[in-house]
Amino acid sequence: MKRIRNLLVMMLVMGLVLLAGCAGQSEQPGASDSAEVLDIKLGGSSTLSPVIAKCADDFTEKYKTWNNVDPSLPEEPIVIFVSTGGSGFGARSAIDGTFDMGLLARDLKDTEKESLSEGVVVKLGSDALTIAVHPENPVLQVRPDLTTEEVKKIFAGEIKTWKELDDQLPDRPIVVAVRDLGGGASEVFDENVMQGTPIAKDALQMPSMGALAGKVMENKDAIGYVSYGFVGQNEGKIAVLSVDGYQPTAENINSGDYKISRPLLLVTKDVPTVEQQLFIDYLESEEGMQVLEGMGFIPAVN
Amino acid sequence: MLNRRKQIANACVGMLCLIVSSCAVLLLLAIVVFMLQESWPVWVSQGFSGIAFSTNWNPLGDPPLTGIGTMIISTLWVAMGGLFIAAPIGFCAAIFLAEFAPPRLADIIRPVLNILTGIPSVVYGFLGAAVLVSFFEVNFNMASGESLFCASLILTVMVLPYIVATSEAALRAVPREYRQTALALGVSKPYLTLKVLVPLAKKGLVGALILAFGRAAGETMAVLMVAGNVLIMPNSWFSKGEPLSALIALELGSAEVGSAHYQGLFAAGLVLLIFVMAINLGLAFIRRDKKTG
Repeated sequence: MKRIRNLLVMMLVMGLVLLAGCAGQSEQPGASDSAEVLDIKLGGSSTLSPVIAKCADDFTEKYKTWNNVDPSLPEEPIVIFVSTGGSGFGARSAIDGTFDMGLLARDLKDTEKESLSEGVVVKLGSDALTIAVHPENPVLQVRPDLTTEEVKKIFAGEIKTWKELDDQLPDRPIVVAVRDLGGGASEVFDENVMQGTPIAKDALQMPSMGALAGKVMENKDAIGYVSYGFVGQNEGKIAVLSVDGYQPTAENINSGDYKISRPLLLVTKDVPTVEQQLFIDYLESEEGMQVLEGMGFIPAVN
Repeated sequence: MLNRRKQIANACVGMLCLIVSSCAVLLLLAIVVFMLQESWPVWVSQGFSGIAFSTNWNPLGDPPLTGIGTMIISTLWVAMGGLFIAAPIGFCAAIFLAEFAPPRLADIIRPVLNILTGIPSVVYGFLGAAVLVSFFEVNFNMASGESLFCASLILTVMVLPYIVATSEAALRAVPREYRQTALALGVSKPYLTLKVLVPLAKKGLVGALILAFGRAAGETMAVLMVAGNVLIMPNSWFSKGEPLSALIALELGSAEVGSAHYQGLFAAGLVLLIFVMAINLGLAFIRRDKKTG
């Protein structure tokens, strides 16, 4: 009997706590308006988010509170959240308002452009997709330069063995590694190389750019489009082929001679707040661009 | 007076438990309804057979095609393959633990098996991708080591503890009388185990298999990392394939909300969910059968 009563009392208390929690939440927007606005939440492209995360760390470390950035702002600690999840996720979160800014490693689609028409689109830099192979692959000696047409045929599965590409190469199957269809990298590749031709059905879809680079580093028969940044980070372990006579170098990518590249974008839904604009300015400053370059990307030419 | 209060209190507690437990049921229902709602347009435009039996997955094409036949086959292949290896090992281990192992040894083996369930699946997947896949590449001269077989091997390790634990419990649940009677008749211990206990615990053992199959079919991270994720129909255990769970994990992040791609992935999720739910329902029936029979 007593135990049951205790149980009831406990449940009642728990219920009250829950109710109190609900009440507290509904009051929140009015009460804590000023504190909430100062936090910045960003997220999206798994290519770009490490750069932004590093910049956010540096920025927070350097200024600590907002009034150190701009004296007219309150003395509130700087809090910047960065999360990753893909370009599509970045655009979606910015549109839904779950994040203040979305990160994309591809161009905005028309429908996304419409939903984000009130905000800003900042191009922070570019990333290129290099046609990467294992450093011991003989193709590097025999055919270090491919045409776009050849790259297209390899990825579409029309050229199935290395021998079919060139008689001097071994008669081994080409292992094509790609990112998931519909993802940022795969869209860029489609736009610049495949132009609507479907990727071979037996291409390995890797769950991340890191896994794709890993595949190329491990497998001597593999070929894949590896982000320019990853090649820089794994020097000596990944070799790249030039396309139509152009090596994927910073100059060639910036000048547009090397075609398989994509922009790194930051988008907002509304006009950025003062704090958000300050962070964007920081990203575009020399310090921010250095981080971007340090991680192997090509800074936007201002 | 006191009795009356007691009755009211009892009723209150019963009511509360009912409310809380119906919430859990509602949650499951809500998930199913949500997935159905999100994927409804593709079910209408493609038809059931256009999704479940078609092998054309090209959700970004025009018109978008969301056939997940290859993924369903891959899921079945990977999960069945995992069970095929895990079942004999698991049953032998369970019989050994229940009947033959000295208590002290059993006390060591059991917790070790339980630790296997606690290892995060991404760790299994990582080990598989780093060790198994390159092992196959080097030793069997495969062009690339990813295959359904690799995924099955990893699933074997992952479902083994469930098979052992459930079937050991089933063996132990056989009433004492059978054991005593058999021993009184003077049969040997192996005879008792194989001819008396195992047939009696048959339903429990099948239940263990079904439970393990549900786990294996729903497992995502590990198979995503080693199955290879290609869109062609697997034609042997050593082909590459893309199980349903891997498809969803791989593509949901990049699918535009509301597009046919997004809806197709939800349709795939619904198929997987119904799959696993059906398996669990089957298990519940077997369990109920066991009690009444």
